Amino acid sequence: MSPPAEQAPLSGRQPKAVRNALAVLEEVVAAGPGVTAKEISAALKLPPATTYRLLNLLVGEEYLVRLPDLRGFALGRRAGRLTVPVASGPPAAARAVVERLRQRVRWGVHLASYQSGRVELVDADPDHPPSDGALLARYPHASALGKLLLADQAEWRAMVRDLRPFTTATITEAGRLETELADVARTGLARQCGELYPGRGCLAVAIRDVVHGTLVAGLAVSGPTERVAEPNPDLLALVREHADQLAPLLA
Amino acid sequence: MSRASGYRGAVAVRRESPMSGLDRRNLGPLQVFAQSISGAAPSAAMAAAPAVAAATAGGAVLWSFVAATVLALLIGVCVAQFTRRMAAAGSLYSLTAKGLGPVAAFAAGWALLIGYGLLAMAALVGAGTYVHDVLRRMGLSPGWGAVAGTVVVLGVLATVLTVRGVRLSAKVVLVTEALSISALLVVFGLLLARVAPELGFTPFTTEEGLGGVAGAVLPALGAFVGFEAAASFGVEARRPFQSVPRAVQWTAALCGVLYLVAAYTQAAGLSQLPGGLAGQPEPMSTLAELEGLPWLPYVLDAGIAASFFACTMATSSALVRVLLSMGREGIVPRRLGTTHPRYRTPHVAILLVLPAATLLPVVLLAAGVSTRELFVALLNIAVFGYLIAYLLVCAAAPVFLHRIGELTRGALAASVVVAPVLLAVLVLFTVNNADGPYPLAFTLLLAAGLAWYAWVRARRPRQLAGIGIYDETSASDLLGGRP
Repeated sequence: MSPPAEQAPLSGRQPKAVRNALAVLEEVVAAGPGVTAKEISAALKLPPATTYRLLNLLVGEEYLVRLPDLRGFALGRRAGRLTVPVASGPPAAARAVVERLRQRVRWGVHLASYQSGRVELVDADPDHPPSDGALLARYPHASALGKLLLADQAEWRAMVRDLRPFTTATITEAGRLETELADVARTGLARQCGELYPGRGCLAVAIRDVVHGTLVAGLAVSGPTERVAEPNPDLLALVREHADQLAPLLA
Repeated sequence: MSRASGYRGAVAVRRESPMSGLDRRNLGPLQVFAQSISGAAPSAAMAAAPAVAAATAGGAVLWSFVAATVLALLIGVCVAQFTRRMAAAGSLYSLTAKGLGPVAAFAAGWALLIGYGLLAMAALVGAGTYVHDVLRRMGLSPGWGAVAGTVVVLGVLATVLTVRGVRLSAKVVLVTEALSISALLVVFGLLLARVAPELGFTPFTTEEGLGGVAGAVLPALGAFVGFEAAASFGVEARRPFQSVPRAVQWTAALCGVLYLVAAYTQAAGLSQLPGGLAGQPEPMSTLAELEGLPWLPYVLDAGIAASFFACTMATSSALVRVLLSMGREGIVPRRLGTTHPRYRTPHVAILLVLPAATLLPVVLLAAGVSTRELFVALLNIAVFGYLIAYLLVCAAAPVFLHRIGELTRGALAASVVVAPVLLAVLVLFTVNNADGPYPLAFTLLLAAGLAWYAWVRARRPRQLAGIGIYDETSASDLLGGRP
């Protein structure tokens, strides 16, 4: 009694539909947010019914969103996945702040950007190489920097493909992760104790845009599991102090 | 809920959805589908509706179900015009607002509250009646106490489950409805296998003429009522723009098939008896006896009682979400618009509505109203409410599409066909129920609705104008996070 799965693999025999869908996406980018279905249909010389169907499909898939007037369209968050993140390093002033923290603590210090909608290491500690960047981007549930990002999402489930276990400590139940993310959202601090590699852990604090308050980056310190698990009030104060200094430099 | 700065100079985007607090985007497609199926409660209708329709349509009963299925599918098309574009919790109430504006939406909201509320009560009484029947078949002689007891137990259970989270209640609804439909399919499969060999029966006669078919469309359509329940779960569905319209459409189609099978089985099986299907007060028990399957009614009654329970859950869940939307808009007290911080359900609305829906039938039963009369009266008035809401949403669909500049010929055609038919059915329904308690009940409900409208209009004109709240795109849904 389930509705039929329309997720049947594309046979490749609808090149026109695919081309039209991409053209519609492109037109929304070109025309800017607020463009209406009629305008898109006219600009692409597509039949209105086809345009509406494609638009509804793209909205259903969350590449596009309907604006609150229900007429206009804009790019949805998911469209961000279509771009290859441009690795633009942080400004020199920000690097200097990170470097200063590295000299004051005996932990690995890493800076990650969330501008592209995923974890992207932009200043990794050369003396304490962090986990593989692709791994962090792909499995945000298993890292402190990833949890900061997930905790900031309205629907974190949309970003997590599977709760893959890396060690016995990895959180694999959605309910437990949900509780932990609520804590992270409240405190602005994420912790990971041997959840990606046994014996290695991480603490990460959020860096928010000073004007809009959106999450822009995360500052993490990594070290042995047992030390991450400690309360570390002095270390935390130090990391938070540097994160505050970074905020105006990264927006 | 502050409005962010202008978007392209025109459209403002909120920082947070006005429907925040619900368990957003967390229900799978099957669970959404189960809400609609349970709202329509096909198991109960399979057993009872064909005989009611046959009373008017005679041998043409199958035609009337074909017509009702087409009608339900067209209503589904109209509802889908909205649900593919906006994710609402207020069901047809919030949808109508986007096409016909606040006054029509208010009318749809009132009709829907009556429809949902009375159907939830009717389903509780129905579950009680069938549990009572099982006990009676076992040789016990329970009085109305058994019905009232079942109503109370199931009412409390439904309250707890719906408060404790939409995922939990959706799971219960799904499992209960699946069991119920399976039981009914076994029953009808067995009967059909025995009935089929003696085919001296032509299913699609038109001896009663078009008039008979048209008259029987009403009870046949009544069997579909509640199939739009998924439209209340737009906020909570994982992919609302796909799963909600699909759930409504598929429910109409599936129920149509089930009813045709049921109508055929009963009409064919009872065609030898004097009066045929129309002459039977309890067609299913008679049929089971006729075919030498005395244990069948037990399975049937248990299946139907389960279906009624699922129906109570689905309709009351839809009802409280309408109230939640109204509470957030300020049309009803704002407290009703609050959600539980942990379970993320509209707990205030649930704790107001479900105990009331449980106690009212119990009080009426205690006052000496017969269970059958109570059930039929509740159901009839509920159907009336639903039909009004369906009519309004179907009329609203093309207006809405025109407003956003996306009107197509197909969508317009669906509305143009279905709205006059629904209007005719409504008129017929009013005429049919011109006796008994109905004129008084309708007058009272209409007066209450008008009084409420007058109050809202006088005291809260701004809130009235703002009807039509839904889970609109907020800053966090946009690429880049802000305009």
